[in-house]
Amino acid sequence: MTLRLAGRQGRADAPAPSADQAGQADPDGPADPGQAGRVSRAGHGGQGVKGGVPFGLGGWLRWGWRQLTSMRTALVLLFLLALASIPGSVLPQEGIDPAAVSQYYAAHPALAPLLARLSGFDVFGAPWFAAIYLLLFTSLAGCVLPRAYRMARSARQPPPKAPRHIGRLPQATSFAAPAAPDQALGSAAGFLTKRRFRVRTGEGWVSAEKGYLHEVGNLLFHVALLGLLASVALGGLFGYKANKLLVEHQTFANTPAGLDVFRPGRLVTATDLQPFSITLRSFSARYVETGPQRGQPLEYNARLSYSASYGGRLRSYDLQVNHPLNVDGVQVFLIGHGYAPEFKVTDGTGRVVFDQPVPFIPLEQSGLTSAGVIKVPGASPRELGFAGVFLPTEVVTPAGTLASVFPAAWIPRVSLVSYAGNLGMNGGQPQSVYSLDTRHMHQLDVAPRPLAPGQSIVLPHGLGTLTFTGYVQWASLAITYDPGQMPALISALTALAGLILSFLVRRRRLFVRAVAGDAGGAVVEFGGLTRSDAAGGFEAEFAELAGEIMQTVGGFPAGAGQAAAGQVGDGGHAGGAASADDEVVLAEQEAASDDDQVALAGQRESE
Amino acid sequence: MTRPHSSARRSGRPAHAVRALLAGSAVLVLSACEGGAIGANTPVSSGQSFVGASYSSTYFSPGSRPMAPDIHAKTLTGQKFSLAAERGDVVVLNFWGSWCSPCRREAPALAALATYFRKDPVRFVGDNVLDYTAAALAFERQFNVGYPSLNDQSEQVVLAFHSTVPPNAIPSTLVIDRTGHIAARVVGEASFQGLRALILKILAEKS
Amino acid sequence: MSNATLVSAIVLYAVAMLAYACDFAFGRRSSAAAARSKPERVATVALVGAAAGPDLSGHAFPADPADPSELADLDLDAVGGPSGSAGSAAAGSGSGQGAGVAAGALQGRARSRWPEGVWVRAAFALTCAGLALQLFAIATRGIAEHRVPWGNMYEFIAAITCAAVIVLVLASVRFRAYFTGLFVLLPVVLALAVDVVVIYTPVGALVPALQSYWIAIHVTGMIIAIGMYVFGAVVTVLYLLVARHERRVAAGEIPAAGGVLAQLPGSTLLDRLSYRTILFAFPAWTFAVIAGAIWADHAWGRYWGWDPKETWSFITWLVYAAYLHARATAGWRGRRAAYIQLFGFACLMFNLVGVNLWITGLHSYAGL
Repeated sequence: MTLRLAGRQGRADAPAPSADQAGQADPDGPADPGQAGRVSRAGHGGQGVKGGVPFGLGGWLRWGWRQLTSMRTALVLLFLLALASIPGSVLPQEGIDPAAVSQYYAAHPALAPLLARLSGFDVFGAPWFAAIYLLLFTSLAGCVLPRAYRMARSARQPPPKAPRHIGRLPQATSFAAPAAPDQALGSAAGFLTKRRFRVRTGEGWVSAEKGYLHEVGNLLFHVALLGLLASVALGGLFGYKANKLLVEHQTFANTPAGLDVFRPGRLVTATDLQPFSITLRSFSARYVETGPQRGQPLEYNARLSYSASYGGRLRSYDLQVNHPLNVDGVQVFLIGHGYAPEFKVTDGTGRVVFDQPVPFIPLEQSGLTSAGVIKVPGASPRELGFAGVFLPTEVVTPAGTLASVFPAAWIPRVSLVSYAGNLGMNGGQPQSVYSLDTRHMHQLDVAPRPLAPGQSIVLPHGLGTLTFTGYVQWASLAITYDPGQMPALISALTALAGLILSFLVRRRRLFVRAVAGDAGGAVVEFGGLTRSDAAGGFEAEFAELAGEIMQTVGGFPAGAGQAAAGQVGDGGHAGGAASADDEVVLAEQEAASDDDQVALAGQRESE
Repeated sequence: MTRPHSSARRSGRPAHAVRALLAGSAVLVLSACEGGAIGANTPVSSGQSFVGASYSSTYFSPGSRPMAPDIHAKTLTGQKFSLAAERGDVVVLNFWGSWCSPCRREAPALAALATYFRKDPVRFVGDNVLDYTAAALAFERQFNVGYPSLNDQSEQVVLAFHSTVPPNAIPSTLVIDRTGHIAARVVGEASFQGLRALILKILAEKS
Repeated sequence: MSNATLVSAIVLYAVAMLAYACDFAFGRRSSAAAARSKPERVATVALVGAAAGPDLSGHAFPADPADPSELADLDLDAVGGPSGSAGSAAAGSGSGQGAGVAAGALQGRARSRWPEGVWVRAAFALTCAGLALQLFAIATRGIAEHRVPWGNMYEFIAAITCAAVIVLVLASVRFRAYFTGLFVLLPVVLALAVDVVVIYTPVGALVPALQSYWIAIHVTGMIIAIGMYVFGAVVTVLYLLVARHERRVAAGEIPAAGGVLAQLPGSTLLDRLSYRTILFAFPAWTFAVIAGAIWADHAWGRYWGWDPKETWSFITWLVYAAYLHARATAGWRGRRAAYIQLFGFACLMFNLVGVNLWITGLHSYAGL
């Protein structure tokens, strides 16, 4: 089905003088959700390019710029951005879940490196992704900013002249008034001015316009998007994100050395970090104990002490999931938890060479079965290593395997495999504290069995003893500092406000014409139209205004088919062709760029 | 190149060309889309046994040295320590942890340096960060570390240097001159030769 | 009790669907007569425009999808049916609309908002009754749980379908869009049936991450927006079907009258109804995404982390934004824009279902 598109034919270029300059202000331009009619210029090469072919570097650049800032390009780029985001949601991303990325490598050994080269695991930081949204924003800026300028200019311009055939407008009425035409027009103009319309009078007509907030809202929305981008950039440059896994009774300070993961913005250095310290005094979790949702967490509470600076005053805070800590402009969030069983290792010489909690990482959430490793490089005669699982509520399944059936530590057990040899730590190569490199170690001949707190593994050959002494819990914290956070919020809310404004407000024009009537009074014609009535209701407003104008002017309705109507309307609807005057007038030479032109052209469709 | 006055349908292609041109300039300073999200229940922690920046060695010329903060701490064996009390000696403050592989590799060099300078007014002090006593003492025994180390499990000594010359990595080493100003910093694993040269230079300065 | 009420609601919806269908089969269609009668109803004020029915089409910008006069009264009966819109779609509806609008403008509504015809009335009443039951079901569940009742997939789908029916009822009354009843209730009933049978989870507490007042803001916003998107998608599908029907009628392949499609309003009208719906839905979705970002910052420490759900919400937003841009671009209105909207709806559905089922992320609360 082909929709007839108003204004494609004909009038598009008429008032637009030098197309080169007009090309800059491309009416096909900015994204304008609520508006119609960027019809005629799109795809017509007439602008800025003689005969359709750009020549010269300037011509090409102009043409390129116009293409970039055209609505169609915006459409394409929006789609592209959407498409480009899809792999970022389907493939595991480095910044979100590095473990999943490693798993992907393991599962797809051939495909993964190829994807990595294409930034498949860091889609949102990829240069091609950045190219798309930067182009989109350039297109946006290139449309919106000139349009804002034009709007500021045209906002001071008076409304257009009234069309000759008011009867042709979508809303129109006429009535007779006892006053003289000029008087009638005067009172109409006064009434409209009181109603906060911008009014312009002329020979036998009055023209009024209102509703610039529509365009303001539209521009506000798009400019706010630019503000959002700037806020995100601000955060990216001056902000940082960090993670810290903190065991109960442990303290850390906000330094690169103390943080587990530190991702600074481009312009952030270590001295920029706010110097606070946090101690995890205790951590507690509550779970659903009965019923079908047994094991589901109910509440997490990390009791903290913190000080905002070195040697500063200590304060307390209960950190919970939706209850972050704000210290010195930095926000600290509780994002995870787990268990850290405590071990004491006595080596072959009889000395205690290890006595501390070791964080184990949960493998699953329903029972919090956790895995971890213990590395004892200080043991003599051989370095020792252990790897195994911690089960908060241990049961033996019918199949003979160990499992944890509840996340609270009701029956805490740990089961470890023992190794001796060379941990590889003295070579200087960084290792993860959660993985054990057993390449230069041999497994000891001690069958792993679940240890209760207090129980020990006695290692063979006099290598030592490991005792499971108890457990504590740990909490993992996210630390973020984002100076662009508040600007981003403001930009987003402004965008929303602009969006709603542009959808609710409509720009409307009202016209009044009065001619002397037969009976000595005046016949007043009153018509109006609106550019984009997303929210509807103009006809109601028009009806109300018509009624009030009628009262103001002191008129009374004229019946249909009166001679007066014939005079005023000029029988325009008796099949006459659209008068050129009307089109020019209604078209309104607003700097050749306003998409008003088409909508107000009111030209006849060529069937 | 398609003619620009062609129909609406084809304007997508020129847009592609423009995009290609601009794509090259698209790698901007923005790190706008870094991930940073965290799993709701699993920690994301590198758990690396070496934290921080790449190796660097910085010597501060005498006029531009910040004053070292006043440190009061206990050693691993429970004795009190005050940095101010060491004024008059060059203090070599080494930040380490028993869990840290590069620390283990540089330990022999540091122990040897301590022996090398035992007759000079040079004091070696360790700062045991984010660690536990048993493992730290085992480390000292293992590498024959002849000098005491501060118990800095809570990282407060590290924090004390935050506004002056922060030790950005573990291991790091700070050298404090005889007037109590921070004269040099080594970020990362120290080498015997490099650190010795630094200490000698600072030792040779007139107080 | 809540479950029984919900099942009763489903039954009522199904019966309402039947009634709507009967309306199509047996209801009287007096559209042409009604349109002609409009000018006579004008009482006092002479309407120059109204008298110039066919000519007004030239100046009423009928093909302008955002034209107000067309949006004013999307009354089934005001349009001369598909026979009117088949030939010169815009003009026909334009004239009818112009007349109707002019009449309506100065007189207030000349016609009642309520449906005409026994079947439609019955169907609408059943729909409203079903909606009341569904609201009751949701409310009782919320009371039983002492919390806002959208914390898992089951509750979420129930809420979305409820929102869709609310939009249906509102649109029916405001725009007299009763004809959409059957087609909106169809996916609603299906979704609810699947929800109750397959996805049902018993009353339970919220995980700590969801224990925040933000759930009332962010998730509610999402539900409202999705309800509107559902309605918009249904109308768009109707638009495409009717448009195709009109094309075929114009090409002489099939007769104009007869069949369900012939009784629906013209494609232009459907197009505009769907556009109008999206104009409401898009800001609602924007708000919901922003609220989600604020909550994410509060809970997880960053307002945007490209979590799969966040990413797909963003994708959905982009596609609907593209739809709105398409409406303002030559050559992209009508069918192409409709396809874009449906693509956006597909993204939305994937966001709701696919992301939860197949991709793990921070939003995986349902256990689903």
